[in-house]
Amino acid sequence: MIELRNVSRFYQRGADVVHALEQVSLEIPAGRFVALMGPSGSGKSTLLNILAGLDRPSDGQVSVAGRKLGDLSEDELAEFRASHLGFVFQFFNLIPVFSARENVELPLLLTHLNKAERRERAETALRIVGLAERAGHMPAQLSGGEQQRVAIARAIVTDPEIVVGDEPTGDLDAKNAEEVLGLLRTLKQEFGKTVVIVTHDPRAERYVDEVLLLDKGVFQGSRPGGAAAGAAPAHGAPR
Amino acid sequence: MIKFAPIVWRNLLRNKLRSLLTGGAIMLAIALVCVLRTAPEGFDAFLKALAKNSRISIHNTAGIVYSMPYAYLSRVRAVPGVVDAVSWSWFGGAVDVDEGVAFPNFAVDAETIGVVFEDLGMEPAAVEHFRTHRDGALVGRMTMKRFGWQPGDEVTLTSTVYPLTLTFRISGEIPADQDPRFWLQRAYLEEALKAQGIASDQIGMIWARIDQAERVPAVMKQIDDMFRNSEAETESETEKSFFQNFFSILQGIIAVFLIVSWLVTGCIVFIAANTASMAVRERLRELAVLKAIGYRWRLLFGTLLAEATLLSTLAGASGALLSLGFTRVLGTLASTTPQMGPLSGFVVTNWILVQALFIAFFVGILSGVVPSFGAARRSVAATLREVF
Amino acid sequence: MALPLHYPLRNLAHRRLRTALTVTVIALVVIATTLFLGLVTSMRRTLATTGSPDNLIVLRKGSDNDGSSAVPLEAYQALRFFDGVAKNGKGEPLASPELVVQPFFFTEDGGRENVLVRGVEPVALEVHDEVRIAEGRMFVPSQGEAVVGRGVASRYRGVELGEELRFGRSSWKIVGVLDSDGSSFESEVWVDVRELAADAKRTIPYSGLRLKVAPGVDRDALIRRIEADSRWTLGAKPETEYYAKQAESADFLFILVVFLAVVAGFGAAFGATNTMYAAVQARIAEIGTLRALGFSRGTVMRAFVTESVALAVLGLLVGVAIAVPLAFAVSQALGGIAFGLSTFSTSVITLRISVFDVAVAALLALAIGLGGGLAPAWRAARLRPIEALRKG
Repeated sequence: MIELRNVSRFYQRGADVVHALEQVSLEIPAGRFVALMGPSGSGKSTLLNILAGLDRPSDGQVSVAGRKLGDLSEDELAEFRASHLGFVFQFFNLIPVFSARENVELPLLLTHLNKAERRERAETALRIVGLAERAGHMPAQLSGGEQQRVAIARAIVTDPEIVVGDEPTGDLDAKNAEEVLGLLRTLKQEFGKTVVIVTHDPRAERYVDEVLLLDKGVFQGSRPGGAAAGAAPAHGAPR
Repeated sequence: MIKFAPIVWRNLLRNKLRSLLTGGAIMLAIALVCVLRTAPEGFDAFLKALAKNSRISIHNTAGIVYSMPYAYLSRVRAVPGVVDAVSWSWFGGAVDVDEGVAFPNFAVDAETIGVVFEDLGMEPAAVEHFRTHRDGALVGRMTMKRFGWQPGDEVTLTSTVYPLTLTFRISGEIPADQDPRFWLQRAYLEEALKAQGIASDQIGMIWARIDQAERVPAVMKQIDDMFRNSEAETESETEKSFFQNFFSILQGIIAVFLIVSWLVTGCIVFIAANTASMAVRERLRELAVLKAIGYRWRLLFGTLLAEATLLSTLAGASGALLSLGFTRVLGTLASTTPQMGPLSGFVVTNWILVQALFIAFFVGILSGVVPSFGAARRSVAATLREVF
Repeated sequence: MALPLHYPLRNLAHRRLRTALTVTVIALVVIATTLFLGLVTSMRRTLATTGSPDNLIVLRKGSDNDGSSAVPLEAYQALRFFDGVAKNGKGEPLASPELVVQPFFFTEDGGRENVLVRGVEPVALEVHDEVRIAEGRMFVPSQGEAVVGRGVASRYRGVELGEELRFGRSSWKIVGVLDSDGSSFESEVWVDVRELAADAKRTIPYSGLRLKVAPGVDRDALIRRIEADSRWTLGAKPETEYYAKQAESADFLFILVVFLAVVAGFGAAFGATNTMYAAVQARIAEIGTLRALGFSRGTVMRAFVTESVALAVLGLLVGVAIAVPLAFAVSQALGGIAFGLSTFSTSVITLRISVFDVAVAALLALAIGLGGGLAPAWRAARLRPIEALRKG
């Protein structure tokens, strides 16, 4: 599903050139739940941005769902993201002036569905994350954990093949973090989606199929995650 | 206190674009206010200058367009307290008959005009030339400039009230930039009218100079009493009162000018307040930190206020300067319609500039007060909780 | 498909203070411009809509207003029988000899103004077809009676129907009020021409003539004939042209209005730009998210331009809502606005905000909204999706 070949990314910072990624080559097959881990400054966020089409590499090739991202223009990339990817951010990034349902409907505005169809899909997505009865609430009225779940609903409402998350549990307490990770696991298990997250949360290892390691922009290899052996429940329950 | 000045200045530079936009808006608004105020100010200044002399006008109570007998002139000159008097009649002459009358022109007594209007500062040689040359003419600087005339030039005017066309030789100018008047000799007009068989014993009005300012009311009463119950009753008034009444029809327009200038001033307040509140909102975190360190809220309030006021005042100063340029342009455009009288001067007086600076200064303070006060007084804990 | 309209609108409601301040600025600019423009258009409406293209005004050549002109009796007697002058049902020529005098009248608050008193004969009503007696009746010649225009009735002392009006050297009984669709005649007082000439001691009885041109006649040919007549030096022109020229003195104020609108417009636009930049700045993460989700740059830009235009529209609505009653109040308080230096007499103008004035204000508001919002919207559009990862 996702393939990187000799991808490098460097940029100017003042007088220096920072090498965020050096010749990274890796593959993520479809339907995998993968965590990108590594120390601070290892380039994992940069790597995520590139494979999600949010940033372009300075060198190398990126292929996602069979398309070479390098061949796409800005607007084509936007379209691509809309149809193939779902995003979950560390700080939830919900639009404060829209209700939960409206936030979840947002990606659907880019499709040709009519109002009734959009509403139906949004409510389905909210049901999956367990927030159907909070559909009319504004983000300010929701807790951190609930906001992140709304964000996940938004990420899946167009039924994309891939869901990416940058520190999805970074701003949550233990209970909520486990719930979110469990939800992400469900996306892979029940819906067959490819899920890629960047995290430094050690709890995540139990939920993923594979952990990819990065250090100083260089791919260090991978190891199997806890879920590969079926060790983690589908919905995370607090211990 | 002064040691915080660089901080205040640096804060303005933090968001250069916003400071420039706000400063630009205030600058334009202040320039507008200055331009709008030139009308009422110009009018006031004009009247104030007239209040200084002791000249009075005597005209028919019914109206300026009603005539009086020429014989009244000698009777007025004989009244004690009157230094001298001159008759004043509308000639209505046009340079180009198709264009119509372009400036006010009057037939006056050459003998006494120089004395009655001594304060205008005409060259004695010019007045003497006017007195001794039947076809002489004294012309206001505004009209001289407009037509490019010089003393000695010949000018022909065709009257629109009499069947006459007369040629004059310019004796000299009336040295006032805003004066459009053209004076010709009454004797010259009389002569021409007689040749046509038209009677000429009526005049429009009389201007007289009184020796002492305190005697003016008494002299005016005496003159009016003198002509009560005659065929043409008179009303005397000071020159200031005369012009005040003459231009009183502009009151309405001036009122609109003033209202509009206040509206624009209001704009400034809101623009500045908006910017101040935006700036303050962005700095809540650092204000909390400063307070945690130990800065007193009064000091913080002071620096925030100083920032708004500094920006506003600088912008106001630029706006005042800009208005000078604007009025120059408007003035040249306005010179095509001299009928606006003292309104078309568009002179930005020093007083207007001072007013502009004051407005800018106080607007800065006013607009900065509310946001700064609120920000400076917030408790540290509340802010840190919200922001971190 | 783009972002729904309620995205920009809700954001405006969300930041209430900033929105309110910016809307106020725009509203103030709209009020100022509308008021001033209303003044100028009211002036032009009064001055320029006076007169009929079928009437000629005949004055001494070179005279630009009928207050300072003189036309001899013999000229009137000859001209009224010229070919081309219309006749009424009774075969009488529609030629109105008139004498214009400007005596002092006093306003309610003691101001002294020159008012145009027109000495006419009853035929004047037939020549000036826009003039109607709205209340009372027309005066009867030689009875010391007068009719006053509507504008005069509302502005000066002692001009009520039935009152004795004193001006000049006599007193006149007001028997009627005349109406002329808001044109300059409403600022006049009409009396018997012979009585007026006696009161003002005029030896030349008329200041000018108004002739109605018969239908189908070549108007220019008639004008040429009148002007070429060597017995007198006369100038003739269509009434509408005469009054249009007088309206030119208001043109200068027009320049001032444009100046005001442009300068104030820029000032308000700067204010709007500030507000919009701050809005963009505050929502960088949000914009990044929208871009990450797949909304195009054009969509983001349109949303912000819409927000800016919405601000301007709100300002327009508030501004117009205030300007219209304000204009009315000002006009009432001042007893009508007076103008007319060039004619040496007072035209009473009712300050009224017309649809045209509002339309111009709407254009101005739109320009402010578009102009002010363009740059920040552009900035928002150029944000990269990566900004979504910023802390909001």
